Amino acid sequence: MAGELESCKPLSGLLSGLAQDAFYGHPGITEELLRSQLYPDVPIEEFRPFQAKMRGILKSIASADMDFNQLEAFLTAQTKKQGGITSDQAAVISKFWKSHKTKIRESLMNQSRWDSGLRGLSWRVDGKSQSRHSAEIHTPVAIMELEIGKSGQINPELTSAANPPVFAEEDWP
Amino acid sequence: QLIDFQWKLGMAVSSDSCRSLKYPYVAVMLKVADHSGQVKNKSFEMTIPQFQNFYRQFKEIAAIIETV
Repeated sequence: MAGELESCKPLSGLLSGLAQDAFYGHPGITEELLRSQLYPDVPIEEFRPFQAKMRGILKSIASADMDFNQLEAFLTAQTKKQGGITSDQAAVISKFWKSHKTKIRESLMNQSRWDSGLRGLSWRVDGKSQSRHSAEIHTPVAIMELEIGKSGQINPELTSAANPPVFAEEDWP
Repeated sequence: QLIDFQWKLGMAVSSDSCRSLKYPYVAVMLKVADHSGQVKNKSFEMTIPQFQNFYRQFKEIAAIIETV
């Protein structure tokens, strides 16, 4: 059974699944789902500590935002540990981090952004205008529409940063 | 109507989800008055690339307003 866990093909898939759950917040990625999809012949009591170990390693790497030197040193230390990983597994983890690092980092940055973000910006400049009360209003006006909302939110707040044109203030016949 | 525009350049160092964040951001606080004169505060954050786009748009507006 240990041989099954050491096989590298499903490890890449496992790391993907763990990343989906730990970093991207995708729901429904259970231990049992990962086991049945990737390591169907491994009993749950063996799979559980194994995936916990991989998850821990992935979280350490992401949390420290390791560069490639740090990653090498870290993974080498893991291969030398009692109950650590094999050098083949270290290679898979290294490859995974190198290709997913940017995306995972962005996801973690988003998780730390609690204020609203700027989701969109459009603008218009109005020139001279007329109204009932004054012949000509000379001041050009810039009107901006800012879409402010939390990342992932469907309904953003809309804000006009400058007054809408004069007809809103004047009586409009 | 835009009453006031405040900004802050911050650097996120660490968080519970990531010990080594190290990303700069611009936080903006807008004071906006509606038709009745009621003032509301709107705040939001931008990444540096977002801010650079934001700034570019303002530059464009400024250039156009000169010509109107």
